[in-house]
This record gives sequence, C-alpha cells and structure tokens, in this order.
Amino acid sequence: MTRFTYNDMEFSVEEAQGRWSITYRNAEGKSGVVGAGLFAAVPADEIEARARALIKAVFPVGVRCVGPDVAHPLMIGDLKIVPPDVTHPNFIYWDKDSSSFPKQL
Amino acid sequence: MEIKGSVAVITGGGNGIGEAVAKYFAQNGAKVVIVDMAQKNIDRVVKEIQGMGGEVIGVQANVTSEADTAKFIKAAIEAFGQINIAVSCAGIIRDGTMLSLDKETGKVNRKMGLDKWQPVIDTNLTGTFLTVRDAAEAMVNGGWPGLLVTISSVNKVGQVGQLNYSSAKVADALLPKIVVGEFLMRGIRNVRCVGIAPGYTATPMLTGMNQDALKAILADVHLGRLVDPNEIARLIGHCVENEAINATTLEITGGLCYPGGIAK
Repeated sequence: MTRFTYNDMEFSVEEAQGRWSITYRNAEGKSGVVGAGLFAAVPADEIEARARALIKAVFPVGVRCVGPDVAHPLMIGDLKIVPPDVTHPNFIYWDKDSSSFPKQL
Repeated sequence: MEIKGSVAVITGGGNGIGEAVAKYFAQNGAKVVIVDMAQKNIDRVVKEIQGMGGEVIGVQANVTSEADTAKFIKAAIEAFGQINIAVSCAGIIRDGTMLSLDKETGKVNRKMGLDKWQPVIDTNLTGTFLTVRDAAEAMVNGGWPGLLVTISSVNKVGQVGQLNYSSAKVADALLPKIVVGEFLMRGIRNVRCVGIAPGYTATPMLTGMNQDALKAILADVHLGRLVDPNEIARLIGHCVENEAINATTLEITGGLCYPGGIAK
C-alpha cells in the first residue's frame, strides 16, 4: 500500500489481485473512492505516478471565480447585466499544487 | 464496436438509469467512469462494480459546468487512455405549470420562475451538450471509435406540467441528427450519436411514488409494468454493437399510449 498527501487530502493506493484501488480521506475526515480495479498491466514502480496523475485530474487544484461572469450576461432589452453567476463558473487551473506552498493559517 | 475493452463515461452514473448502464458496461468488460454530483452514490456504485471485478473510476462533477466536464473527460483518459462511449444520463425534474390561477379571481397568482426553468434546461440540455461536445472532441482528436448517447424521454412529445423538461428532452432527441450531420459535413466518420427516449422507468423516483398514481400510469402502458433500467442499458449496449444505429432517437417505453390507446 502507498499513502501520500495531495491538496490536504490523504490518498491510499492499495493492490489486490494485481489491480489497484485508490481511496481518499479529506481534511474534514470524509472518505471516498477514486477508482478500483485499475492499472492491471502497469509495472509496480509506475503505479504511484499513474495514481498521482489520475488524482490530479479528478481533483484539480485551482481558484473558482464566481463572478461577475462577463461571458454570460443576463440581457434585459439591450442592457447587459453581469452579476455573480455560479451557474457558469470560470475555473482557473493552477499548474502547482496548493500543497507545494507553505500553508497559511 | 465491441463493449469489451471500451471505455464508457456515464454521467448521472450514481443511480437510476445511469447506474444500470454503468453496471451493464462493466459486466460486459468495459472500463467505466462514473460521473455524479453525489460522492456517496459514486462510492457505492464504484464498490459494487469493483465487486464484479470491473475497472472503474468515479468523478464528482456538475455536468452544467465546462470546467467539471473537462475534468471528467481528462480523468477518463488519464485512467484508461481513451474514451469510446459517453452516455449523458444526468437529469433532473422541477415540474409545474407555466401559469397558475387563483381559483376565486381567475387571475394569475403564480408563474414558473427561472428557479424551476433554468436548472432543468442547464442539466438536461446544456449538460448533455457539454458531455457530448467534449467526449466527441476527445474521440476525434484521439482517433478512437466512439458512440455518443443522449437520454431523451417519451415526454419529448410534450407533457403538461413539464414545459421545462419536455423542452430539454425534445432537444436531446434532435441532437443526434444534427451532430451526425455535422460529423458527415466535417468528414468525421469514427463517431456515432444516438438518443434513447425511455418511457416510465423503475427508478427510485417512480417506484417510491404513490402506488395508486403508479397504477394509473401503468394503465396506459401496454407492457403493464415500468421499464426496467437494465432493459434501457441493454438497448444502449445494442447501439454500441450495431453500427447501423446512428443519428436517430429510439424509444423504449413498453408501449406507452395516450388514454384511449394511441401509442405516444
């Protein structure tokens, strides 16, 4: 079994019968499953890298902007209104993990 | 195209029709990506598919978000290297008539607000569009054979109390024709698109309803029972394997009729 932390979540990568399962526990203590039955033909020394890449895809680290969303204005006649709009969230991906930075408390 | 060895992305895969479709594909040797809003549903279905010996990942995502759609498409490719099947099962209802009248005055006292209209359009139509669009992009760029599946409804013909839902579902039924026409126009030959229009189906929403109301619904179904989600899953599986099914929407209703016996 391999354990590592990413974005304040603890991940476990476990092998059973030549296949791998990934589970996690977040900062609030809630647990979940990322996947099961994975990486059947992948060499053992590549498993953690594959798991980390998958986890980064499932849990991208970024900043969610909730408005104003100028790309989706509400139109009233010819008037454009750009309120905070959570139905069309922009999402800016960072290329670094938050865990790469010192934690600010 | 064979199901075995394919990679299937199922939105709304955490319950109902989506769960049945995900399990059907897993049982038949596909690698499965469960997309759902509820992590506890994802966890349950992933564990059950694991118990079947399947290969599966779960991604918590909102299908109305472009960022979330990009996320689960990327995760599918990261986990399994390709995408071959995308089934857009995520859907919601917010029923109500457009106008309601005051019984005493006969004047409008309530009208359907955007709080009931927009989420239904966003999830059932925009969500389907985003899933189909981004899965198609991956299939075209990857050169992988693919099938895109929209989930319409027999209520695409129009259902009172469901102006929002029927409007989205008639669009979901039309989408395969236009998408495949555009594929032909652009020289894209490796990806097909079909719609599935279920009738009344034995999902928790319907089986848990008032039994007298359920009996009244079944009075208009020639089959005499609700459609089983597994029957819908098998139809989608057939669409995967039969490449002649394309650019159309298939109904699976058990013979749902209007009162009096004219089939919907």
